[in-house]
Amino acid sequence: MSKDDILEPGLKEKLSRQREQEWRKALRRDVSVRKRLESQRHKMPEQPPARRAANFLEVNLGYSLEMAREEAQRCLDCSDPGCVSGCPVAIDIPTFIKYIESGEIALALATLRETNGLPAICGRVCPQEVQCEKNCNLIKAGKEPVAIGHLERFAADYVRCNDQTVNESACGQAKGEKIAVVGSGPAGLTAAADLARLGYQVTVFEGLHLPGGVLTYGIPEFRLPRSILNQEIDFIRSLGVEIKTNFLVGRTATLTDLSQAGYRAFFVGTGAGLPSFMNIPGENLLGVFSANEYLTRVNLMKAFKFPEYDTPVPVVKKAAVIGGGNVAMDAVRTALRLGAKEATIYYRRSRVEMPARVEEVKHAEEEGIKFNFLTVPSRYLGDEKGRLKGLVLQRLTLGEPDASGRRRPVPVPGSEFEVEAELAVVAIGQSPNPLLIRQVEGLKLGRWGNIEADPVTMATSLEGIYAGGDAVRGGATVILAMGDGRRAARAIDQWLRKC
Amino acid sequence: MNRVILAERLVPNIFRLVVEAPEIARSARPGQFVIVIPDEKGERVPISLADWDEDQGTIDLIFLNLGVSTRKLARFKAGDSIQAVAGPLGRPAEIGNFGQVLLVGGCYGLAGFYPLARELKQKGNKVTFLAEGRDEAFIFWEEKIRKVVDGYLKVLKADCFASGDELGKIIRQLKNNNPELSRVVVMGCSYLLFIVSKITRELNLKTMVNLNPIMVDGTGMCGACRVTVNGQTYFACVDGPEFDGHGVDWAEYFNRRKAFLRQEEQALSSYLNKTLD
Ligand SMILES: Cc1cc2nc3c(=O)[nH]c(=O)nc-3n(C[C@H](O)[C@H](O)[C@H](O)COP(=O)(O)OP(=O)(O)OC[C@H]3O[C@@H](n4cnc5c(N)ncnc54)[C@H](O)[C@@H]3O)c2cc1C
Ligand SMILES: Cc1cc2nc3c(=O)[nH]c(=O)nc-3n(C[C@H](O)[C@H](O)[C@H](O)COP(=O)(O)OP(=O)(O)OC[C@H]3O[C@@H](n4cnc5c(N)ncnc54)[C@H](O)[C@@H]3O)c2cc1C
Ligand code: SF4
Ligand code: FES
Repeated sequence: MSKDDILEPGLKEKLSRQREQEWRKALRRDVSVRKRLESQRHKMPEQPPARRAANFLEVNLGYSLEMAREEAQRCLDCSDPGCVSGCPVAIDIPTFIKYIESGEIALALATLRETNGLPAICGRVCPQEVQCEKNCNLIKAGKEPVAIGHLERFAADYVRCNDQTVNESACGQAKGEKIAVVGSGPAGLTAAADLARLGYQVTVFEGLHLPGGVLTYGIPEFRLPRSILNQEIDFIRSLGVEIKTNFLVGRTATLTDLSQAGYRAFFVGTGAGLPSFMNIPGENLLGVFSANEYLTRVNLMKAFKFPEYDTPVPVVKKAAVIGGGNVAMDAVRTALRLGAKEATIYYRRSRVEMPARVEEVKHAEEEGIKFNFLTVPSRYLGDEKGRLKGLVLQRLTLGEPDASGRRRPVPVPGSEFEVEAELAVVAIGQSPNPLLIRQVEGLKLGRWGNIEADPVTMATSLEGIYAGGDAVRGGATVILAMGDGRRAARAIDQWLRKC
Repeated sequence: MNRVILAERLVPNIFRLVVEAPEIARSARPGQFVIVIPDEKGERVPISLADWDEDQGTIDLIFLNLGVSTRKLARFKAGDSIQAVAGPLGRPAEIGNFGQVLLVGGCYGLAGFYPLARELKQKGNKVTFLAEGRDEAFIFWEEKIRKVVDGYLKVLKADCFASGDELGKIIRQLKNNNPELSRVVVMGCSYLLFIVSKITRELNLKTMVNLNPIMVDGTGMCGACRVTVNGQTYFACVDGPEFDGHGVDWAEYFNRRKAFLRQEEQALSSYLNKTLD
């Protein structure tokens, strides 16, 4: 079975069947390719940088219906849509875009939902520039790609705001078998939704008090408002999925306990929540945080509303954030919003290697975040009270490419320098949560403590246990986690039918 | 939401809540704790499991009335619901055949040690309990603990330093009279953990302390709770809370507990203003 087949059996045929429908042909006839190529990509309306740097409201404001339809018109409805092959879950992108063009937004959303359980979220956080949009055929015509992410977000938001309901496609026959999903991040939620659609009784177990995984505790409100997340989660609940929070599998109950309680199959989507530190002197000073702690305080515990909410977070003048990914961008922009006069990124490679979404880097720059490339801290400096007062940093140059193909940074001798900071946030990566997976006897783990799973079925070394998302991949992306959840759901269904 | 079955004040500054949490009661082990979120805007507060009843599906939480969170908890009455309780968390305390074990408990540790005392005893250890408190009025659960230990001693001093001297005297005596005493475990305020470790270090007497650093999630994903023990950094919520008292970097530990002192005071005064209205 190929990866595409388990994801979307007969994908190619389905795409062309859709494309050959009369209304699609009519749309293609109505507006010429030349006309479509004439118009420019619509910029996303956003809060002005100076204003948004002082609030936690969403930066992007979203397209209007008019803008969305104009943007949708730029799409050529290609016979060989590169965009779909760039999408990790193979969304039928041209169909949903053409529905927007014809003003049928609810149908556009229904199309998205066929393959993507969380369109309002993916439209906001997916790295479109390296996925669908990178493969958009408009690029070959020397144009900017269709703003697929913005349109995806638009469809989900528009339907929600205008209270149009999407008819969920018919559920599979109730099968009654109980399935346990561990972790309520995008991997777990997607697996749960798909299994519920197939007719299973699904319970999601979440250790924290709110569902959503990184979407709840990691990604800030200014990128992903909680009301949107909650609506997506409510939708998944409406499919019959039960979400049990405050239930840490491995502690509150073990997998064996759950299996004795009648759960027939498991999906483990416990994420990569274990923060890495650098083990350099001064790392335990007051004021040095893991990105997870800093962001959890602010996002999950709402410390930005302290003292209305009880959880505190430091408010400082100078903040230093170590790292160059989405996590680092979120941390540094959070520090700015909490009142830092100077918030700086220190990244050990150069700009082009930064793994963060391009849009986040652009937004950060507009907001006044400083970037210091090719630097790495070698030590933290404390005052007499054990509070952080600065960092000693070292300059690096790029040497030979390493295993990841990126050039390896090497230290420049004698290049150490000091900067002041009362807050340092370490955002250099996370590894899989060891708590549960180390406890399961016989579960095969990979080199980084990640669960080993079949790339197609997501089956682990133990029968009946499937896994996906960051627990398998280490730090990856929302959409890849969702894709794993989806493939695992299909494979679990096939496995249960067999036995 | 978890329903409160019983709420009582044990001594002037310490309260007890019996809370419905059947799943936790089923899995709890001595030395573990739960994270409690008092209300919708509350923080995640770690509280030790002082007892549990699997049949009734309840757990016992005993806490010192200190800042906002514990004051919020102290206001709960039977029938009220707590926003959230998660657990059991942390590694269970080590329970082996140690011969004789001395448990030193102060503050919430006067009760928090009950499950450990019971199980150590069941395993065939001789268990002595040393209770530390300001005066008789601050000692509670004495009868309950006496039922599961071989000896119950008290150090009653209002002043920390005097209490330290007295603890030193008693522990040295115990060690001299009981050669089979091989292990001390301490639970309570940070100063108690520190001073007992200092005393037993001189006696070369293995000592485990229940560290109570600041925590956020309590599940190992943030590192707020990091402590240095024997030169290595650990996350107390998953690697502990029980650690070798002789290896703890106490200066760092005391310092890290002060991370949010200013905010805690601010929160408390804003909370007191609100509740007085
Ligand atoms: C700050 C930040 C910003 C990011 N930005 C982006 C972005 O812009 N775009 C993008 O695509 N990706 C982004 N990512 C990465 C993306 O969020 C992750 O790849 C994705 O969330 C992984 O999903 P998951 O379901 O595997 O795990 P997670 O989202 O990590 O969820 C795992 C869940 O499992 C729970 N859990 C763990 N152990 C247990 C247990 N034993 N019992 C019960 N529950 C348990 C955890 O509490 C957690 O809620 C970001 C990550 C971070 C941290
Ligand atoms: C694993 C673990 C288990 C624990 N078990 C228990 C338990 O069973 N019972 C229990 O009561 N606590 C227990 N604790 C400690 C408890 O979690 C904290 O005391 C609690 O977080 C206090 O929250 P608060 O909001 O009430 O006080 P906070 O607002 O956090 O602060 C306390 C207030 O008192 C002051 N203060 C801080 N420390 C002290 C001190 N040592 N002495 C005097 N004043 C101080 C501060 O200035 C502040 O105003 C445990 C901690 C851990 C990590
Ligand atoms: S590749 Fe671009 S133009 Fe072609 S269908 Fe996809 S989005 Fe439209
Ligand atoms: S409290 Fe977050 S890791 Fe221990």
